[in-house]
Amino acid sequence: MNPHVVLAVLIALGLIWTAGWATVLLRSPRAVPVETIQKSEARVRLVLLTSFAAIAIVLFILTLRRLPYQGTRIMELGPPPVTVAVTGAQWSWILSRTRVPEGVPIEFAVSARDVNHDFGLYDPRGRLVAQVQAMPGYTNRLVYVFPAPGTYTVRCLEYCGLAHDMMTTTFTVAEQ
Amino acid sequence: MGGQGAVLADEYTAGTPLLAPRRANGEVLRASMAYMVAGLGGFLVMGLLGLLMRLDQGGLMVIPPEWFYRLMTLHGAGMVASILLAGLGGLAAAVSATTRLSARVLWIALVVYLLGTGFVDLATLVGGFGAGWTILYPLPTHGFVWTMDSALAMYAGYLFVALGLLLFSAHMLYALARSHGGLTKVLALRYLFSGGRDERNALPRPPELIAAVISIDSIVAAAAGAVYLIPLFAQAAGIVGSVNALFAKNAVLLFGHTMANLSIYVTAGLVYAALPAFTGRAWRTTWPVVFAWDLIIVLMLINYSHHLYADFAQPIGLQLLAEIASYAVALPSFIVTIIGALALIYRSGIRWTAAPILLALGLWGWVFGGLGAVLDATIPVNQVMHNTMWVPAHFHTYYLLGAVAFAWGYLFYLVRALSNRGDARASRMAAWLYGIGGAGFIFMFFVAGANSVPRRYAVHLAQWQIYARIAVPFVVLLALSLAWLSWDIGARFKAAWRGTHDPTLES
Repeated sequence: MNPHVVLAVLIALGLIWTAGWATVLLRSPRAVPVETIQKSEARVRLVLLTSFAAIAIVLFILTLRRLPYQGTRIMELGPPPVTVAVTGAQWSWILSRTRVPEGVPIEFAVSARDVNHDFGLYDPRGRLVAQVQAMPGYTNRLVYVFPAPGTYTVRCLEYCGLAHDMMTTTFTVAEQ
Repeated sequence: MGGQGAVLADEYTAGTPLLAPRRANGEVLRASMAYMVAGLGGFLVMGLLGLLMRLDQGGLMVIPPEWFYRLMTLHGAGMVASILLAGLGGLAAAVSATTRLSARVLWIALVVYLLGTGFVDLATLVGGFGAGWTILYPLPTHGFVWTMDSALAMYAGYLFVALGLLLFSAHMLYALARSHGGLTKVLALRYLFSGGRDERNALPRPPELIAAVISIDSIVAAAAGAVYLIPLFAQAAGIVGSVNALFAKNAVLLFGHTMANLSIYVTAGLVYAALPAFTGRAWRTTWPVVFAWDLIIVLMLINYSHHLYADFAQPIGLQLLAEIASYAVALPSFIVTIIGALALIYRSGIRWTAAPILLALGLWGWVFGGLGAVLDATIPVNQVMHNTMWVPAHFHTYYLLGAVAFAWGYLFYLVRALSNRGDARASRMAAWLYGIGGAGFIFMFFVAGANSVPRRYAVHLAQWQIYARIAVPFVVLLALSLAWLSWDIGARFKAAWRGTHDPTLES
């Protein structure tokens, strides 16, 4: 999922909403009896309700195919041949290896030694591509296929105290 | 209240301009105004802290990280507490037009609530506590730069805020149930389940229905807060060794996220109460209104867990339920409340004074922020948006341009009604500038989120600073417009306070 596409969707929907809202406000000064608009109000409600409900159902079904959870990802990609053990600790990341191949599923087995952290995976262009929580007492498994080689950065995305913003590390994704 | 209540209520829902507050109990109105002033005053101070943080993130000033995170913690906790307080005050005023509330209980609840906020101030500003407003276990005990005493002060603060909220809500529910002959009648359950046939002549007014819904969820949120805090206190006392991290996260988000959500729904109740006065059209309790609000009782308590999508240990069924609940809660709010409000405004002949402008801005912000929230509540989108600036983007939108705009709008309405003095013409311009400043400010959060800028960072990389820098002038515009709006309220406040002593008010 490209975050810029998400922003574009927000702007498009926001503009449609703003146009509708502004239209109502601009047409507000001239008074008509409330009875004259009640029918169209009911129609608008029905159209919006059915269309939004339909969009929500479609979105939900699409979601089911793109869940980031281990079971769904392994069904989609097959068992990951490479596992990287990751431990988050105030305020550093410990990775069992710092070089992984591109194009194959990599499993990050993520846990935390002290407090909650969040393993945020940034690509070489600085874009967040996946994330999973690092929690004390749990191991969360994130499966990801790196589409291109380069230096990737891990940033902590769950606030974890004084040096939270400095809790980063890098690793290399190598060409196959 | 009986028959008299019904007569007043008819005037009320018929939108008789500005009559409603004058029919309310003067003592209750004074307590309500104290809530609103304390809440919106707190919002202004917390907003200034927000400006400091944005200046820091833009590289325009340097705040040492230790102080940044203390201010961030205070800003978050203070905003949630302040905005909810303002909303509760407004709702008490709205409900008091038809329901007898005890001013004494409201004052006691306010004191307990403010005692809690005092503890939070002490914990952060004096004790150095900086674990974030979410006080996510076990960070409060692993701070290194703050002491256990300051963490305990923070817990105590939350406990008192929760107690104040509990007291307010329990009293509100009791008063509503007493005046309507039972809780099921305030929630219009027979009317709901009969498809609108039974008890159609004994329906609650929308603000009463909403107050009941809010009170039920407030009680659940306060209970969740207790469930969260008790093991933490027990751990501090050495009675238990550790607390399960996933359980703690669920409990704190059920408490905190519901508290944050309550603000917007409480203040939405103010729109139902005030907008009819400006449009001259009644906002009646129809079946869709009852259905939407009764449904919100459940949905508001489930959707918190969309903040746990990245906790892969959370059962997958709960993750999917969170997505369904997040979509579902948006539908009744939009179809019933937003469309209902727009239908009230459309070709109504409304005169655009400051109050309706602020209420209309609130409608815009609630929907725009809701769009951002619904996108983030979609699990694959959440993977690349969550914990970025997209999150503060959506909640700042429906806080600043939703709940707060509603609360300011309602306070303008109340002060105008009680003081018999209209707002200054410049306030209309200030209200629009509030919208422009707010929109520019929150939009830069969204853009930063789409560019993967993390949230809750004291220091921003050079390439991220541009978003905060562009936001700063909009924040300044926002601050100036708020300064004017506050001045206008302040200029008429004394007269409004005197207006609550009007002998024609019930006592």
